[in-house]
Amino acid sequence: MLGQYFESLESGILSSIEKDGGKASPRKLYALEIARLGRRLYDGGHKVAWCGVAAPFDLLNAMGLTSCFVEFVGAMLASTGMAGNIIEQADHWGYSSDACSYHRSVTGAALAGLMPVPEILVGTTCPCTGGLGVIENLARHFGKPLFVLNIPQNDTVEDVRYLADQLRDLVGFASGHTGIPFDQERLTRAIENTNAARELFVEIFDLASRVPSPASSKDLNNFMISLALLLGTRECVDLARAFKDEFARRVETGSAGVKGEEIRLLWIQNRIQFKNPIEKMLEDEFRACIVIDELNDIYWDPIDPDDPFEGIARRCILIPFNGPSSRRIEHLKKLALTYRVHGAINPCNWGCRQGTGMRGLIEAGLREVGVPVLNLEVDCVDDRKFTEGQFRTRIEAFMEMIGSNRSSRRDS
Amino acid sequence: MSRPIPGHVGYACSYTPLALVLASGFTPYRVLPVTSGPDQAGLHLHDNLCPHVKRILDRALAGDLPDMAGMIFMNSCDPMRRLADAWTKVKGGNVAMVDLPVNGLSRSVDFFARELGRLAGILESWGGDPVTPKRLASGIAATNEIANALAGLENHPPCGLGGSVIYEAYTACATSPPAEALAFVKGIVGSRSTSMADSDAPKVFVFGNVLVGSEAINLIEACGARVALEDTCMGSRMFRRMEMAEGEVSFTALARAILSGKACARTFDPARPGGIALDMLEAARGCGARGAICHTAKFCDPYLSRLPHIREVFRKEGMPLLVLEGDCTARSIGQHSTRIEAFLEMLR
Ligand code: SF4
Ligand code: SF4
Repeated sequence: MLGQYFESLESGILSSIEKDGGKASPRKLYALEIARLGRRLYDGGHKVAWCGVAAPFDLLNAMGLTSCFVEFVGAMLASTGMAGNIIEQADHWGYSSDACSYHRSVTGAALAGLMPVPEILVGTTCPCTGGLGVIENLARHFGKPLFVLNIPQNDTVEDVRYLADQLRDLVGFASGHTGIPFDQERLTRAIENTNAARELFVEIFDLASRVPSPASSKDLNNFMISLALLLGTRECVDLARAFKDEFARRVETGSAGVKGEEIRLLWIQNRIQFKNPIEKMLEDEFRACIVIDELNDIYWDPIDPDDPFEGIARRCILIPFNGPSSRRIEHLKKLALTYRVHGAINPCNWGCRQGTGMRGLIEAGLREVGVPVLNLEVDCVDDRKFTEGQFRTRIEAFMEMIGSNRSSRRDS
Repeated sequence: MSRPIPGHVGYACSYTPLALVLASGFTPYRVLPVTSGPDQAGLHLHDNLCPHVKRILDRALAGDLPDMAGMIFMNSCDPMRRLADAWTKVKGGNVAMVDLPVNGLSRSVDFFARELGRLAGILESWGGDPVTPKRLASGIAATNEIANALAGLENHPPCGLGGSVIYEAYTACATSPPAEALAFVKGIVGSRSTSMADSDAPKVFVFGNVLVGSEAINLIEACGARVALEDTCMGSRMFRRMEMAEGEVSFTALARAILSGKACARTFDPARPGGIALDMLEAARGCGARGAICHTAKFCDPYLSRLPHIREVFRKEGMPLLVLEGDCTARSIGQHSTRIEAFLEMLR
């Protein structure tokens, strides 16, 4: 089912590009690469590694493994409207409805035979306890070898070394179980690609922070979280360049992502994955633009291509979801100030203890820099619980509040 | 009401290195999720976090705590991390967050040993003694003595005490200095003659995470069960016997002992995914139980994700299993009494 979906998505995008004389927006190219990744996961011709969110995808790509975090499947099922039925399979197995729906849908997909059998699995202790539980379940379900990366909370030299050593062990583990020999040269090239993409991402995000922002609410939706899967590849660099060029062009021509941009918003954690009217409503009715998503940032240094393990380890440790909430809140504050946002939206995914659990702390932290937060109680994957009217009322009230804050500031 | 107990360091998780805390001259004090204080944690922690962490925060918010030099949190799960964040914000003071790998592989042991060394330094900065090998050895010996005394209760000849009595002892040991703890345990042995040898109550194995105080076990027993063995984080997982010769005592040995000891669902061997199901089945069979009761705090991801498989294995192997969710109060166990009674009826 999903395999067919990705295949027809890929061919559909390719033929539309062809129709347009080879021209494509960066967002279309992004969709194409995601479709291709999905096709590779499902076509049976590639060795697959199911992973946790914080896995080192450039390292795994360099090892010839088509690797992906399992939550991607949940997001895809949600975007195609299939999540609800699949989640029911997990429910029947006894998986609690109090768990995160990304994980319930992945579990349902595995039970329904909708997950390709991997060669190996790579669990990560970050970002969430529930995610690691699912990877353990999948390893048992598929009877395939599991490697767990314990991601330390701090980025001290010793902690980085601990993770770097685990990454070296992972190379041996992956190679041993897949029969793919480790190729240092290939890893060096992959890291060069990561660094090249990184430079472009820095430029993209710098451009996106301009007022008005050249990015619409949709342009960078799920951007870095998905592109992390392509790190180390040429395609990732090309895609980043396409976005950078397009944003540079828009800035030069004064073309804003949202015409007449009035309100700038920060989106916390991940977007709502099923089709929903929120972004359109924000743009059309309030000229409000989501100018920055929490994970759309470069928080890691360039990595040494000849000795990349420490650099990759540090990148994994510094993912904003890791460590104490104070670190995450500082990061959010930095983004709020850099992007000059007027408010933030936090979709409190039911079942997410990691992110939603700190809802109150995030709200208090952002208040310190004058940024109000709208906490939306929502299930980001399961659309069966989504009630548009309720969301509309809450968003309208929030926008009004931002509007009156702004006018009282102008008046004073 | 709280009473000042100088020299105490609070902790909230059974993976806390109690021997190390004792070695630094402090007495470990388990902050149990029991309070008559109001429910205020929701201001800082989302409703979807387990009641274990919320009630502990409620205690901090209500000032329902003894004097403590500081509080140790283990990085056992997302809610524990969030509790540490919220505690730091609302209560402040000395807080240590100790990283905790999910397995006992050698790299994890070395890393955790470093974390223990770091904790020793933190405890010293809170006014504790430097943790020398000699002090660590005596901390381990003290923990072992308590563990042995408690194990003695479990195997109390000729027949064993009621589970609730043993649980009472665990709770006392978790919150008292070693000498008091031992005296309490000895007192139980001396004063109670509760013999359940002739009882025809069906034996059950109780496992899971947070089951607070003896009332919970009492309620299960009052429904007509005999708790033959328990494996919970406020019971037998709290005090682990650590086998090590005196010359072997080190942070590494302590780290290994903790990571390879009795585990809850958050710790697992990647080479044996889903192993908890077989381990719990074996424990149930080992104690001669006719059935098992798994009790977990609501919203506990480590158990939520493992329970379907545990259920499956128990079903396949013909070991009856009752799964209960609670909010850390005896009342919530009370609400399950009809289900417990029906389950026990089936076991007879
Ligand atoms: S939403 Fe939260 S619990 Fe779910 S996968 Fe993401 S971090 Fe984990
Ligand atoms: S009850 Fe579960 S979720 Fe709560 S602190 Fe304990 S292990 Fe973590």
